[in-house]
Amino acid sequence: MKLEIIRMSFESLLANKTRSFLSMLGIIIGVSTVIAVFAIGQGAQQAVDEQFQGLSANSILVMQMRGKTESSNLKTTDSEIIIENCSHISEATAVIQESMAVSFESEEGSFSISGIESNYFKMSSIEIDKGVLISAEDIAGSEKVAVLGSGVVEELFENTDEIIGKNIKINGKTIEIIGTVKETGRSMGKSSLDDTIFLPNTMAEKSILGSKAFIMIFTIVDDVENIEIASEEIVSVLRNEHNLKDSQADDFRIMDAGAMVGAAQDSAELMTFLLTSVAAIVLLVSGIGIMNVMFVTVAERTKEIGIAKAIGGKQGDILGQFLLESVMLSMVGGLLGIGLGLLIVPIFSRFEIMAVAFSWTGPIIGFGFSVLVGVFFGFYPALKASRLDPVDALRSE
Amino acid sequence: MEKPAIQLKNVHKSYYLSNDEEVPVLNGINLDINEGEFVALMGESGCGKTTLLNIIGCLHPLSDGEYFLDGENIGEVRDDYTLAFIRNKKMGFVFQQFNLFSRLSALKNIALPALYAGEKKEIREEKALKLLGSVNMEDRANYKPTELSGGQQQRVSICRSLMNDPDILLADEPTGALDSKSGLEIMKIFTDLKRNNKTIIMVTHTAEVAKYADRIIFMKDGKVMDKNYRLASNY
Repeated sequence: MKLEIIRMSFESLLANKTRSFLSMLGIIIGVSTVIAVFAIGQGAQQAVDEQFQGLSANSILVMQMRGKTESSNLKTTDSEIIIENCSHISEATAVIQESMAVSFESEEGSFSISGIESNYFKMSSIEIDKGVLISAEDIAGSEKVAVLGSGVVEELFENTDEIIGKNIKINGKTIEIIGTVKETGRSMGKSSLDDTIFLPNTMAEKSILGSKAFIMIFTIVDDVENIEIASEEIVSVLRNEHNLKDSQADDFRIMDAGAMVGAAQDSAELMTFLLTSVAAIVLLVSGIGIMNVMFVTVAERTKEIGIAKAIGGKQGDILGQFLLESVMLSMVGGLLGIGLGLLIVPIFSRFEIMAVAFSWTGPIIGFGFSVLVGVFFGFYPALKASRLDPVDALRSE
Repeated sequence: MEKPAIQLKNVHKSYYLSNDEEVPVLNGINLDINEGEFVALMGESGCGKTTLLNIIGCLHPLSDGEYFLDGENIGEVRDDYTLAFIRNKKMGFVFQQFNLFSRLSALKNIALPALYAGEKKEIREEKALKLLGSVNMEDRANYKPTELSGGQQQRVSICRSLMNDPDILLADEPTGALDSKSGLEIMKIFTDLKRNNKTIIMVTHTAEVAKYADRIIFMKDGKVMDKNYRLASNY
C-alpha cells in the first residue's frame, strides 16, 4: 500500500516538473551551502591547527606593537632580561623577522628572514637536515652565516646535495650557508617556517634587517598552571626595564598560546557560525517556498481530496500523501544539493578560493535538515488538506 | 423478509452562513430503505436530495435526528476513522461528473478504494480487472479517464464504487452527463446490481431514469412528500 502512495506522490510531482524544480531550488542551494560551510569551517579549523601546531600550551609570545613603531620598544636583548628576572620562565628566545629578496646565482625569491638566538631551533623543535645549526659563537661573533628552510632550498637550488658552503645574497650582503633544516609544515605568524632563512640575530639586526624589522620573543613557562603569573611577571619586568611610568601604556604586546589559539579558533568559529546562519536562512526560506507550493497543490487538488474521502480515504491517508509529497520535494532537493555541494567544494580547493576540508558531516546535516524542512513546512498544508470537508471539496472545481 | 438497510428518523440538516444565519435544508426526514431496494430520489433543485444522499453516504454529519445503518445508530458518529471505514466498505459513490483521478489509469482508479482499505496490490488489481470485465472494458484497463468516453468513464466509476463489495450504492445523477444511449447502459448495470441484492439510492431529475427504480421518493422543501410511488418492477 505504502509503495503505491509513494508512487502516486512521485507522479503528481512529476506532473508539475517546473514547479517542483523551482520549489526544490531553495533546498538545493541551502544544502549545498551547508556542505560548503562545513568544508570551509573544517578548512579554517585545520588552518588554525596547522598554524599553531608545535606551539606548546605553556608558551608566551611577546611582540612589538603593531604598526605604531614609535611607541614600540621591544629589543632582542629583552629575552635575556626576561630569562634572568622572571622566575616562572624557563626559556626565552628573541626572533627578528622580515621578508626580503634573496638570490643565489641567477635564482631569486622572496623569503622570510629570521634573526634568531642559538636556542631557537631547540625551542621550536626544528630539526637539522644537513650541515650545522647556528651556534652561540656565530651569534657572539655576528657571523655572516645562514641556515635554510626546506622550501628555500627547493626554490633556490637545483642540486640540493651541494648547498653547504655556498653563498647567497640577502639585501646585497653575501652570506654563507652552513646548514639546512627539515620540513616542518608549520608557520610562525603568517610566514611558513619552511620558507624562512635563519640568521644569527646579532648579524641580521646589524647588517641586514635594520631597526624596522619585527621583533618577537618566544618564552616557555615552567608549568601551564603558571601562565597567568608568568605573563604578569614579563609585563612588570619589561615595564621596569623600559622605564615606563604607571601612567604610560605598555610598549609591547603579550599573548599566551591559549589566547592565540583561542583567538584564531574564535574567528574560525565565527566564520562558520555566520555561514551556517546564511545556510539556515536559505533553508528556512526554501521551506516557506515549499509550504507555498504545497498550499497551491492542495488548492488545485481540492476536488481530488473530496473524491478520496468519498471513496474511503482517511484523514491520515490524505495527510500522509501530501506530507510525503513535500518530504519528497525536499529530499530530492537535498540529494541534488549534496551533488552540487560535492561539485563546489573541490572547486574551492582547486582554485584556492578558500581553505576547505571535506567531511561527511556537511552532507549528512544538510540532507537531514532538508528532510526536516519538508516535514515541518509540509505539515500544515497537508493537515489543512486532510481536514477539508468532503462535500465542500467535491463541489470545488 | 425485507429489513431496512437504512433508516432515517426525523433527520434535520442545516447550514450556517458566515453571519451565523441558519439555513435549514432537511426538515425532519423519516425514511426506511430496505436491503436490496432500488430507490430514486426526485424533487426540484434545492429540495435537499443531494444533501440527503450525502448524509446517507456519511459525507455530512446530521444536525439532528437518528440514522440507522444495518440497525446501528451512526447519526452521532463524528470520528473520521469510523466514517471513512463506512464510506470505504459499506457504500460506493457514483457521481454525475464521474470524479475519476485524471492522472491514474482506469484500473488504478477502480483499485483505489482497496488501496485505502489496505489491500495488497495483486489482489486489488486482479479484482479491478474483473470488475472492468463485467462492464466489457477489460481492454481499457490502462486508459486514462480523458481517453475514455463519458459512458465508459461512468462505467469505470461504477466499478470503483463496487471495489470493496459494499451493500449500498449511492448515485448522484449518474446519467446526468451522458447521452441517452450511455445512460441506458448505466441503468442496465444498476438493474443488474439490484438483482444482486445491492441497495441503490439514486438522485435523479429524469423520470425516464427514475422508472428503473422500485420506488420513487419525492422531496420538497427538505421533506419527503407524503405520497410515495411504489412502481411495479420494469423487468
